[in-house]
Amino acid sequence: MEKDIRESIEWAKINGDVLKSLESPRPLFWVILVIALSMFGVGLGCEIYQYQIGMGVANLNNPQVWGLYIATFIFWIGMSHSGTLLSAILHLMHADWRKPIYRFAEAMTTFSLMTAGLFVMVHLGRLWQFYYAIPYPSERWVWPNFQSPLLWDAMAIFTYLSSSVIFLFIGMIPDLAICRDHLHPGWRKSLYTVLSLGWEGTDRQWRNFRMTYLTVACFLIPLAVSVHSIVASDFAMSQQPGWHVTSFPPYFVAGALYSGCAAIITLFVILRYVFKFEEYMTLPILKKIVRLTFAIAMVWTYLNAVEFASVWYSHDEASKAVLIQKATGIYAPFWWMMNFCGSVVPFVMMIKRLQTNIPVMFAVSLLLNLGMWLERWMIVSPTFSHGYYPYLWDNNQWPTLVQWGIVFGSFGWFTLLFMGFCKLFPSVSMYEVKEMVYHRSLALKHTERNLAVNATELAEKGAH
Amino acid sequence: MIENSFNRRDFLKVLGWGGTAVALSGCGNTSIQDGVETVVSYVEPPEYAIPGISVYFNSTCAQCDAGCNITGRLREGRVLKLEGNPNSVINHGKLCGLGQAGVQAHYNPDRVREPLLRNGDKGEVIAWDKALGLINEKLSGVKGDEIAFLTGGLSGHVKVLLNNYLEALGSKNHYAYEAVSPSVVRAANKKAYGVEMPRLRLDKAKVVVSFGADFLGAWVSPVNFSQQYAKFRKADENGRGVLVQIESKMTLTGANADRWIVIRPGTEGILALGIVNALGASGVSLPADVAAVSKAYSSERVSKDTGVPAEQIEKLAALLKERSPSLVITGSAAEGYAHGSQNAAAIALLNRVLGNIGKTIEAPANVPFPQVAVTTGNRSSVQALNDSLANGKIKVLFSYGTNPVFTAPTALKFKENLGKVPFKIAFAHYLDETSREADLVLPLDSALEDWGTSVPEYLGEASQLSIQQPLMEKLHPNTKGLGDILLALLKQRREKEYKDYEDFYSYLRSAVVKNKSALGGSGEDDDTFWTNTLSNGIVPFSASSNNLSAKSSAAGLVLPPPADENSGYPLHLIPSVTASLRDGRHANQPWLQESPDPLTTIVWDSWVELHPKTAAKLGIVEGDIVEVTSRSGSVKAQAYLFPGIHPDAVSIPLGNGHVALGRWAKDVGVNAFGILDQVVDKETGELALNETRVKISKTGKRVFIVKDEGAVGGSQAGVKIAVRVSTDDVELSGEV
Amino acid sequence: MSVSNMLENWSKFRHMHPVDDKPHEEYKWAMAIDLDACSGCNACSVACYAENNLPVVGKQKFDAGQQMHWMRIERYWDDDGREFPDQGAQFMPMLCQQCEAAPCETVCPVGATNHTADGLNSQVYNRCIGSRYCSANCPFKVRYFNWYDYPTTDNVWPAEMTQQLNPDVTVRGKGVMEKCTFCVQRLERAKNNARTEGRLVHDGEVQTACQQACPTSAITFGNLVEPESKVAKKWAHQQVELAAKDVQAKDEQEGGSDLRGYRIFEELRAYPSVMYLERVRESAI
Repeated sequence: MEKDIRESIEWAKINGDVLKSLESPRPLFWVILVIALSMFGVGLGCEIYQYQIGMGVANLNNPQVWGLYIATFIFWIGMSHSGTLLSAILHLMHADWRKPIYRFAEAMTTFSLMTAGLFVMVHLGRLWQFYYAIPYPSERWVWPNFQSPLLWDAMAIFTYLSSSVIFLFIGMIPDLAICRDHLHPGWRKSLYTVLSLGWEGTDRQWRNFRMTYLTVACFLIPLAVSVHSIVASDFAMSQQPGWHVTSFPPYFVAGALYSGCAAIITLFVILRYVFKFEEYMTLPILKKIVRLTFAIAMVWTYLNAVEFASVWYSHDEASKAVLIQKATGIYAPFWWMMNFCGSVVPFVMMIKRLQTNIPVMFAVSLLLNLGMWLERWMIVSPTFSHGYYPYLWDNNQWPTLVQWGIVFGSFGWFTLLFMGFCKLFPSVSMYEVKEMVYHRSLALKHTERNLAVNATELAEKGAH
Repeated sequence: MIENSFNRRDFLKVLGWGGTAVALSGCGNTSIQDGVETVVSYVEPPEYAIPGISVYFNSTCAQCDAGCNITGRLREGRVLKLEGNPNSVINHGKLCGLGQAGVQAHYNPDRVREPLLRNGDKGEVIAWDKALGLINEKLSGVKGDEIAFLTGGLSGHVKVLLNNYLEALGSKNHYAYEAVSPSVVRAANKKAYGVEMPRLRLDKAKVVVSFGADFLGAWVSPVNFSQQYAKFRKADENGRGVLVQIESKMTLTGANADRWIVIRPGTEGILALGIVNALGASGVSLPADVAAVSKAYSSERVSKDTGVPAEQIEKLAALLKERSPSLVITGSAAEGYAHGSQNAAAIALLNRVLGNIGKTIEAPANVPFPQVAVTTGNRSSVQALNDSLANGKIKVLFSYGTNPVFTAPTALKFKENLGKVPFKIAFAHYLDETSREADLVLPLDSALEDWGTSVPEYLGEASQLSIQQPLMEKLHPNTKGLGDILLALLKQRREKEYKDYEDFYSYLRSAVVKNKSALGGSGEDDDTFWTNTLSNGIVPFSASSNNLSAKSSAAGLVLPPPADENSGYPLHLIPSVTASLRDGRHANQPWLQESPDPLTTIVWDSWVELHPKTAAKLGIVEGDIVEVTSRSGSVKAQAYLFPGIHPDAVSIPLGNGHVALGRWAKDVGVNAFGILDQVVDKETGELALNETRVKISKTGKRVFIVKDEGAVGGSQAGVKIAVRVSTDDVELSGEV
Repeated sequence: MSVSNMLENWSKFRHMHPVDDKPHEEYKWAMAIDLDACSGCNACSVACYAENNLPVVGKQKFDAGQQMHWMRIERYWDDDGREFPDQGAQFMPMLCQQCEAAPCETVCPVGATNHTADGLNSQVYNRCIGSRYCSANCPFKVRYFNWYDYPTTDNVWPAEMTQQLNPDVTVRGKGVMEKCTFCVQRLERAKNNARTEGRLVHDGEVQTACQQACPTSAITFGNLVEPESKVAKKWAHQQVELAAKDVQAKDEQEGGSDLRGYRIFEELRAYPSVMYLERVRESAI
């Protein structure tokens, strides 16, 4: 049986391997950075065009008032649940195999949230007045509307983002101290000196650290659940057919975890290859995350089926009509692809041989995320095209290149942020890996000693 | 609230553009976006001009021949919106969409602003005095019968001046041309009832059977009829009125019918005689001549000829017999054939047989001043003019208010013949297809800037003189009112007679005030009378009306059998007149282009309506660009599947297809007028609008039709949106 | 300080309408549209363009579904497969129903749409940030968004046409939502005039633009709270109640009702302020 991590890794080696990833990047890094920058540029250009001319260039209309912006917004929020799942939930479950991989997952959470925040702005007709949605004591004596799920979104996401940043930062402090101590003088060393807040690794500091970390983790878990439930209530609280479904909050949370885990697999493969983290992001860990993803895929599939069944067996004719439209109407190819990617493709992950097959798992993870993006789009658009009012049923309204451009650009933005993070901060948690190695080696010694004792006993017995 | 205590002229002068000490926000050189305005306070504001408070003035709508009376709302010296004048016996305070768009005709950026003289292909700006001098010059040495004046329907004091001017020129050539007038119906009415347009009492009728008269949409006086229709529908002591519409292509009125009967094109007269026959068979006593004529029209024979089921004919006859009085109206559908007059005569027999004359068909109110009464326009006048033009007889042609280069059938070659006239003068608001051909274009004040009077074409409960007065000062300094131009031209010929009149306004004032005793102002002094007249906007004529009686005999009424199937051109083209566009003069008013056609919801384009069965046979789906070819020409337009049309007919709306007129009209849609065959009604010589036969072919192109309705078209998809209930299931009495 | 303002006014800020303890006091504007009288002529729609500074979007944007008609006239055919529509068509004038429990009001993140004391659903243009949630939640889809900046778009209000604009109504820029307001500018003026004279607005003193134009007088508009107003009498005679839950009491009785007043989507409990009267078709022909 392969081990999650080799127990005999020296701590110095851990430091060395991870700190190596912070060195000057190879040419490939710059190539990908330029690509990401141009993707972002495309998105930025489209947004500037849309800002100048008006939302009409996105080919939105009455009734299709929301399009890819909302769909992608939810997609990015969903992606953000990966980090919380890994760092917080698995932390509380004492699943220490998360330790080598949770750092980049947590970073992914933070940057996904930042990307999602962009979409909130892009989607607004008058984005220069977005601050009306912020609850500050304005001179107009007007507060935002606290009854509105969109406002809950704003609050929840902001809270989640700030908490995630705090969690990420706090978790990094011991590592930042390592960076500070091992790197040559320069702007980086000063940065780490400031950020590591004078960490010396004393007992007291470690005790405080553990307590803080645990507290924030406990705080973050309900927050994650509530954030995506609130995003779900954008739809569930409306009475439009296809949206007014009570199972939406857990369905969205499940979808978010699903998205996040799939993205973890994707980034796992990439970072493992790029930074040569084979020792840390080991295949057994990959196997575990793959199996976790599969489990969540089945939860999502179940909740998906619950949504369909509850509509199908209801007397809500309008919602039934929307469901039938999704399966047979203009969006049918996308809807079926979503179901395929979301419910059928995961079964590849049950094939033991393939669970550690890197290329296959990479492809699968991308397909899963495609399915999840399509799912968000299929929640938004079909309801508009086939709502309560037949005169407004609209079979021919598709997003323009402006919408696609901005969606495309968001991936560039995310990549930019993530690449910046990986080069500036350790993407594997050094101190946690050391803990993992330490505990594993202790356990191994225990086992070896027990085995030796048993062998001796057996030998003694046998000698008689 | 009409202020009486001021002099209207002074008001306009003060608020006028000449004055520098004027506070006007939002006029001329403002930009809404960056809020750049020039605001200067009043030095001496008139007492009634309170910024922020609206002032209302009455005038007359000029968007169609109904001539409804309007009240304009003004703020800071500019007219914003038009409403109906509540005191009008025509429209009683209501105004249709076309009337609302009158402000767009006024503020239209494509209006002609300067007199233009042709130089090659272009028009060069010329000063007014030079222009008028040029006219005088071109008229010298020209005989009276070589001068012609082409107008639309005309009434009021402008008509008086026009007639005087023609007289001064020694010309009798006044051609009044209206492309979509009910001229055959008028002639038939004259024969049947003694008047061209009797007063139709929809409000008194229990049943209205309309043979294609779109009285709610674009026929004669839609706002007036709509209000009567509202009363007709109310369940009063007469019960709720029943509307039956018989036509080959559904009009707006047809869409509101309790029973819409589709009929083979041209067979309306046959059906009318069939109903007469059925009435006779059910015991209604028929006069001898009527019985003789209708004997051969049994329900079976009529059903075969018209396509209307025999039971339907009998049911209709039973309804008409039971519910009296009824009202039978002949409309454009019936009259638009070579035998249109016969159709109309047959339909008029129904009124006679049912005893409606004198009950729901009454005499219109008299107009005691025939010189201001309406000269109606018709289509045969343009044919006569065309003949004169073709012979080169006309040396000077004046035109006003009509666009024959656009509306005349191409077969007439009107544009070509127009080119034979050495000097053409157009009084125009826009450079439309006809005024573009002129040698001299004289820019007119818009209807909201001009003085005038008019008498409505359709006279209902009373006759009146409608006042048209400027609702604001001129937008463009160099336009002139038609009356002012005519007066100036008259002064060239008859200086002495008109020298006392400084302008048309003073002529008008004196002409009206002169007759104040006949106009109900005998107790008042001139100024008060005139001020009250302007304030009311309406001068009622106290005139009685005569009694009507059935005039003509049915003897000699012969209806031709239904038209043969013409294999080369198998389909009947029924061009439709929409309420918004009519003959196309309003195509440059964007509200009207953006206003969806009520029956198809299509906007900003033309279309070819065909029945789904016909489309299926030809393999045409919605959006296919089809070519509709007649013997006289062809047009290409998008096909629209429309259930409210006879399977052997197609329909294209009239009014679009301009190549000039303005930015919102140019290149929008196709011109169906052009492909009409030059076939005329035998009795009146009027162009028979529905006699054109066409064939249809696909071009291979397909577009998405731009329309308001969604993907499921006219279906409610099982959702309870617009609910209909049968009279059996509803309790209407006691409704408030 | 606005915190205290919020706490003090919370109960008024989001009060569910209609309620027994807080009915509308002086005015509750409502409408009754007689579908039997409506001829589908579109005069009301054009009058609304004139009164409320609606932009004409042109063919391309109309094709994209971005038209701005606050009042739209829908045309329906019977769905029974007959060869010809021999009982005519159905016309449905659809405008903002000014719902008492409007689904749009609760979901605006910034509170740009609210309920007024006289029963209107208000749209505050300068508060709107354009999230379009209100339109997403509207079952009637009667909300229209400014997808472009029409004041600066060519051929919308060129040159002199800007002078036609009604100064009592904001000209909307891009990014804001708009919809029928029951001609609130006219209502405000009428209420002000009445208040100056120390009275309430008389029935018929104020008309909406659509009502004023309608040639068949199919639209009745007025104050539902005043029992002698035409609209209140119509609602009362038709036994349509503003706050009926899911179904009107008259429709629950045995055999249904032979009155023809109804509201659309009654079961969604939005409590629309517009009542429609069913179109009637003669059975004897």
